[in-house]
Amino acid sequence: MEYKITMPQLTDTMETGKIVRWLKKEGDYVQENEPVVEVETDKAVMEVPSFRSGILKKIFVEEGEEVPVGTQIAVIETDVEKGKEKSSHKEEISKDIKEKHKESKEELEKKVLEQIKQEEEKIELPESSASPSAKKLAKELGIDIKKYQEQGLLPVPAHEKDIKELFYKNFFTKEALEILQKYNLSLEEVVKQIKKEKISKKDILKFIQNNNIPQIVPISDVQKRVIENLQRSISIPVFHIYEEIKTGNIPDIEGITLTVWLIKILGDTMQNHYRTRAKLEGDIYKVYPNSNICVAIAVEEELFVPVIKNVNLKSLKEIADDLNKLKEKAKQRKLTLEDLTGSTFSLSNLGMFNILSFDAIIPPERVGIVAIGTEIRGKTKITFSFDHRIINGREAAIFVDEFKNRFLDKDYLNKLKKEVV
Amino acid sequence: MLYREALNKAMDEMMEKDPSVVILGEDVGFYGGNYKVTEGLYAKYGRKRVIDTPIAENSIVGTAIGMAIGGLRPIAEIMTVNFSLLAMDQIVNQLAKIRYMSGGKIVLPVVIRMPQGVAKQLAAQHSQSLERFFASVPGLRVFVASDATTAYYGLKYAITTDDPVIFLEHTLLYPEKMEIEEEKNFSPYRARIKKEGEGITIVSYLKMLHDTLKVVPIIEKELNTTCEVIDLCSINPLDISTIANSVKKTKRLVVITEEPKTGSYANEIINKVLEEVFYELDAPPLKIGSEDVPTPYNRTLELASIPTPEKIASLIIKWGRKHGI
Repeated sequence: MEYKITMPQLTDTMETGKIVRWLKKEGDYVQENEPVVEVETDKAVMEVPSFRSGILKKIFVEEGEEVPVGTQIAVIETDVEKGKEKSSHKEEISKDIKEKHKESKEELEKKVLEQIKQEEEKIELPESSASPSAKKLAKELGIDIKKYQEQGLLPVPAHEKDIKELFYKNFFTKEALEILQKYNLSLEEVVKQIKKEKISKKDILKFIQNNNIPQIVPISDVQKRVIENLQRSISIPVFHIYEEIKTGNIPDIEGITLTVWLIKILGDTMQNHYRTRAKLEGDIYKVYPNSNICVAIAVEEELFVPVIKNVNLKSLKEIADDLNKLKEKAKQRKLTLEDLTGSTFSLSNLGMFNILSFDAIIPPERVGIVAIGTEIRGKTKITFSFDHRIINGREAAIFVDEFKNRFLDKDYLNKLKKEVV
Repeated sequence: MLYREALNKAMDEMMEKDPSVVILGEDVGFYGGNYKVTEGLYAKYGRKRVIDTPIAENSIVGTAIGMAIGGLRPIAEIMTVNFSLLAMDQIVNQLAKIRYMSGGKIVLPVVIRMPQGVAKQLAAQHSQSLERFFASVPGLRVFVASDATTAYYGLKYAITTDDPVIFLEHTLLYPEKMEIEEEKNFSPYRARIKKEGEGITIVSYLKMLHDTLKVVPIIEKELNTTCEVIDLCSINPLDISTIANSVKKTKRLVVITEEPKTGSYANEIINKVLEEVFYELDAPPLKIGSEDVPTPYNRTLELASIPTPEKIASLIIKWGRKHGI
């Protein structure tokens, strides 16, 4: 049987505990009540015993790591024979643990939204019920609360806001009120400033222009994610390499755009430079075997960066198909998490907009990005941005040079062409 | 810095400056305090100024009173507010009254420090909030330390003042990381506006203040208004003018405490606001507190019995919608 050791609640104020030292290694035999780990709490360092005897099969939380109370930190196999087999899903569990660790803001917001869904019972109140401040204001403005409540023009009970709305609404035409809503303007403020008996749509538009009042435009969820990612990108130490490639040599093949060629050649070049396939995770690099490249795609005003996987193993045709599929999915807002993750390099092509060159921001967790300008007389300006933490200038320069030279290598380009035709 | 380190810093600085400042209480010396608040002071000032006492709360307060009469400025630590019930005779009948009954001849510069509140599964007898008791005794000043700033400046002020001060802390705040913000003219008798706003006035202190601040953005988004959040440093005397001025502006009041609702100190705040600004109100005041039950041990029930961030948010949002926001 497996027995889970969890982070115990050692003091009444303890919310998380830090593993100071494991007193046993994986595979060690542990006696019942024998200490297995030292834990630092908010008050002191304490030893945590095992409540069963058996083999310490797996440790999930390394020394120095801090986890919340109740998190599984190790597992003991009480059946000694079984304990000798190795367990393989250590990574999964520790990833799980870390995700549980963050009680995100969104979660809190979700919980609140669930709770406020329940409908409140309505209390029957007599007409002329209103808050003290509403009554005070109604008296000042000469509004008979009871009369308007009988006509259904004021709610029961009436609050200050309702009285103000009732009073100031009379100053506006219907169209004018609609515009006010778009600009989130207070009726009271506008009436005080325009000073007219009846305010029309024209008056409002003039007022908005004269005072340079901004319209409230909500930010889409996609754009919110873009903003979030860009803010994370700021922390990346970046350097740039500027180059020009000879795109004039690229053979014409129907259905294969310049972007597709660039993706393929970039992916092939990445194969010779392992750092362009790496991810920085804490104090290690994770180097992936395949060239996975994400491509910036604009759908109307929204930006998506889906990933083309295994570029090095695919032909131009396959890449073109992938790209079209991803574009279609982006249009229908059907990109999945799988479509958006797993790349180490980025590509952004604004060449179709007739610009000379530009540089792009590295999306978080990518080594770099290449920004493509417009082809002019067979030549195209490109700008590489690199994360200096993952790749140094020398390696980056050699990488860019190889990328550039591949456009001069006619045999290579023809080989790619042959795979398609 | 941790909240408890801010308290330690305040005591350390006062002890260094004034040799008449002494600490007494259970395990405050050699062990460094049950919540590590007095850590290091025993080594620095010795056992004559950091005194380990027997487990006898009434005697701890009685001894502190005697020390004060003799010219010292004692800081007594009661391990938790729950045990102060054993010391109520000394607190209510002696500490609060001697200055008055001696015609002002005897001053008692005593501070009684103690944590309160629901921690995690300490069960009913160890999870109480008792500010209502102390705030209702004339002759006592009652301070609450919601963060490192009020902990540091508030405790220093409490040690300096000649009046007896009940100084309430919160068990769950001790290990919290926070910084002391520099304040030039700190007065515990001035409530602190932690966040300015136009639509709702929220008054709170100790842990509830932090739980509230966590969800203010959600409340503001859902109700499309802004909240003004006020932290109290002293609950007796109460800075009613700051609260009343805020309510005059917002016309709405919410008071959040961890005490059970019946008879809670929140009632006192609401009552004083009603006396001052009743005709300005646009909604009935909302009181958020624990349920009227002894705090359950079971974690699920425990959480169900006290205000949590999501409960605070949903109660305020529902109340706001019901009352015309």
